[in-house]
Order: sequence, then C-alpha cells, then structure tokens
Amino acid sequence: MISRLLSAALAAGFLAAVVATALQLTLTSPLIVEAERYEAHEVQAARGLPIVRAHLHRVHGGHDHGGAQAAPEWQPGAGLPRMAFTGLATLVGGVGYALLLGAVMLALGREPTPERALAFAVAGFLSVALAPALGLPPELPGSEQAPLATRQAWWLMTAAATGMGLYLIAVRRSGIAVVGGLVLIVAPHLAGAPEVAAAKSELPAGLAAQFAARSLAIGFVFWAVIGLAYGWAWQVFGRRGAARA
Amino acid sequence: MTTATQTLTATRANERFAAIALAAFLGLGLVFLAGFSPASALHNAAHDFRHTQNFPCH
Repeated sequence: MISRLLSAALAAGFLAAVVATALQLTLTSPLIVEAERYEAHEVQAARGLPIVRAHLHRVHGGHDHGGAQAAPEWQPGAGLPRMAFTGLATLVGGVGYALLLGAVMLALGREPTPERALAFAVAGFLSVALAPALGLPPELPGSEQAPLATRQAWWLMTAAATGMGLYLIAVRRSGIAVVGGLVLIVAPHLAGAPEVAAAKSELPAGLAAQFAARSLAIGFVFWAVIGLAYGWAWQVFGRRGAARA
Repeated sequence: MTTATQTLTATRANERFAAIALAAFLGLGLVFLAGFSPASALHNAAHDFRHTQNFPCH
C-alpha cells in the first residue's frame, strides 16, 4: 500500500508539474520578469541577477532577505537555468501536494478513482489557492507590504481552516458539522488578512491583475491534473500489484 | 483461522496507518521546501513557482 501510494503520488506530481511548468513559463514567468524590470528601475544600487536585485530595496523594510552588505546570494542564472529551477520547484510542490492528497483519501477510506481524486483535488485548490488568495492576492515581486512571517501564518491558518471546513461540510454533513464548517471557512477572512499593499508601486495595475488571474487559473489546472492523474495512477499501480501477486 | 484473520486485519491497519503518516510527512516536507523554506538559495530557486502558486514570498 505504501509503495502504491508513493508511486501514484510521484506519477501524479510529475504529470501535473509538466503541465503547470509549461503554463508558468508561458503565462506567468514573463510577467514576473517584466515586474522585476520595474523594480530594478527603482533600485539605485542595482547589482547581481534579477531576483536578488529586485529584492534589494526591501532590505530596509525589516525583511529577512539578507542585507545589501551581505554576500551575494546564490540564485539561478537568467533564462534556461531559472526556467529549469522553476520546473524543479513545481515538481517538488506537485509531488508534495499529491502525497497529501493521497494521505487524506487513504485516511478517509476513499478508494481513489480519477473522479473522486479530482473532487478532493478541487477541495485542495480551494484550500491552498483560492481561499488564501481572497486575503492575499497573488502578487508580483515588489508589491508585497506586510511582513513575510505574518502573511505565511495567515496563509497556513486559512488553508488549514478551509480544508477542515470543507471536510466537515462535504464528509461529515450533519447540520452542526455544516455550520461549524462554514464558520471555519469564513473565520480567517473575518479575522482579516495582513494589510494588502496600499502603498503605491510603479507596477502597472493591469500587469498585476493579469498575473493574479493567470496564477489562479494555473493553480486550478495544477490541482486538477494532480487529482485526475493520482486517481488514474492509483488504479494502474493497483492492477500491476494484483497481477504480480 | 480467526487469529490469522485478526492478524491480517491488524497488519492491514498498521500498514494503512504507516502509509498515511509517511505520505503526510513527506508531503508536508516537500511543500515546505518548495513553498515556505526561508533558506535564500531555496527561495531564489523556487521564486517563480512561489509567486505563481500564491505562496507568500519575500
């Protein structure tokens, strides 16, 4: 069972990463590079490669991003290396999400088929992508304001509360569970996300809006492929195991 | 017979629990690496992925 789960998650994560990486490289990476150009423009002491250069100016804001006096940080070179690392990170994230999907389905005793796994994947998308995006919209480099730790804490809290809420509503289904689930889903938004960038930025609003929409669309495709592929791979590896036994 | 069945059921349950725990641990670890790890090399490598997947970044 362990090897079946791990194999299915690896296959699903890989397939989802291939699709999502292609979408990221064509739809969002060009916008990120474009945004870094605006940022680099603001930075007087421009040095190094784009990612670090774009973040230099926020050092004084108390962020944990190495000081301007610190040694230059490693980062992938522009172009192909950067694309390759984006793909690698997508693979790591995709396999991670697929493993979590598999763990949840096994814990709830649901046999993964493509249809069922897709339903769980949609719940995953709602929990880690859509719900956190309500308070912290997908941001281009340079438009973030609140401290990183605060935003990460709110993100994690919202994802966990939304996931638990969806579980209560969709799996438990009793009256009190549905009410509790709704409360859990709404609570993080009532508590309020850390302040969204109110300060002015040189980034054109259209660029930021396009990035937010594309980011959520890619997130949905990422999760949908993870779900469909996980259900498919689980069935395939199950048949293989049965044939061998 | 009954004992054998019980042992088999117990083994199944143990294996199921182990699979859930391992997958959850590995899954959280990988998502942390890709999305949250504060190490600057990891942040820079995963930078574009983090922005696109809406992980809070820098």
